[in-house]
Amino acid sequence: MFTPFLHILVFPGFLFLVFAGLIAEYIDRKLYARLQNRVGPPFFQPLADFIKLTSKEDIVPEEANPRMFKAMPIFALTATVTAIFYIPLWSPKALYSFNGDLIVVMYLLTIPTLTYFLGGWYSTSLYSKIGAVRSLTQLFAYEVPLLMCILAPALLANTWSLSEMASFYENHSGYWLFNIIGFAVAIVALLGKLEKVPFDIPEAETEIVAGTFTEYSGRLFGIFRLSLDIEAIVGSSLIASVYLPFGFHLKPLAGFLLYMGKVLSIIAIMSLSRSIFARLRIDQMINFCWKYLSPLAFLQILICLIAKWGLYR
Amino acid sequence: MRIKDKIVKWSRIKSPWMLHFNTGACNACDIEIVAALTPRYDMERFGVMLKGTPRHADILLCSGPVTGQIKDRLKRIYDQMPQPKFVIAVGSCACSGGVFNGCYNVESGIDSVIPVSAYIPGCPAAPTAIIDGVVKLLASLEQREE
Repeated sequence: MFTPFLHILVFPGFLFLVFAGLIAEYIDRKLYARLQNRVGPPFFQPLADFIKLTSKEDIVPEEANPRMFKAMPIFALTATVTAIFYIPLWSPKALYSFNGDLIVVMYLLTIPTLTYFLGGWYSTSLYSKIGAVRSLTQLFAYEVPLLMCILAPALLANTWSLSEMASFYENHSGYWLFNIIGFAVAIVALLGKLEKVPFDIPEAETEIVAGTFTEYSGRLFGIFRLSLDIEAIVGSSLIASVYLPFGFHLKPLAGFLLYMGKVLSIIAIMSLSRSIFARLRIDQMINFCWKYLSPLAFLQILICLIAKWGLYR
Repeated sequence: MRIKDKIVKWSRIKSPWMLHFNTGACNACDIEIVAALTPRYDMERFGVMLKGTPRHADILLCSGPVTGQIKDRLKRIYDQMPQPKFVIAVGSCACSGGVFNGCYNVESGIDSVIPVSAYIPGCPAAPTAIIDGVVKLLASLEQREE
């Protein structure tokens, strides 16, 4: 009776994710600053930002639809927090699992993008509408390669449950090396999903003010920022559990440290890309995703099918 | 309530987000503001982030005397910022109107239109002076009794 609430609210649910998300944002910003040869923010910076935003005035634009405008940040946060329950973190068994939870996690991670679109659309500012349409256009570019390259390891493991995939790769050590191409594709697609540079087209602050979030202020914007941070953690956990499935048999503390190491290294890769790339145009991004990323994901599926045929024969 | 207020005040001092708005400057102060944000001086040490929209900003950095055209826009930008909000006038023109004071098309200084919390003189104000002004504004917030 009591444990589910503990799971949802404390660990690995809401509180843990908030904490991890803020740490991830700090590491991202600090690494970015160090790569630019400057000092960077202090360690409490993301927390101070969040508290400040929650204590500021909430402005709802007169033209906006207040119900949708206020509900969207909460939907984004809920969807991202829910997705963590189906992802195996440091033991091969996730908190809750059933056959097909892979698809559920992908759906739950798509909902935040949809809320960015709706929130931007219903705030009726011109800039947020442009940002909203861009974020939806971007969704159609990265979602297909991401789903395809996450399905490839599932095909090799012959299951659609993340927990069973994790235990399969744990029992067949070395099999995850088949999925290296998929790993690269998934990280690029995750950059698009999290709207990070070079795919930060929806919130390009030099062209369209702040994109989707132009009209959001105070607490609502704070929740949106938090949900983006948490989405970074959840997305990296998904990639870590699918593509780096080793060390699941370790003791709880060592396993936890290994899991944090995996997630933070994926976040470090993302902040590295943020400091070396410039922003792409939306048409270049769509071209890149459909011309190069999707064929690579397809190649990954082919590799997995051939490997499966060779191994199970 | 006391502890909560203290935490909120701490977070406000540690995370000032800025909006840069040119109210008719000759562009010299703007170059210095941008220089203060670049890696050489690194304002992110103090938690400063440059924001594109007034909805996210806490501090409005204004440069230049208020021209007749920009006056209404300045008021509108100021009204769009959520409370609590602060205004910093950067450069001599923004402080008092400078050499443009008394011109037919210029109001005098930012404080003739909106309330200003800190003045940073200089023509143009050096990046170090801008950082100093911002830090002094934050220090004055710390002492303020609410």
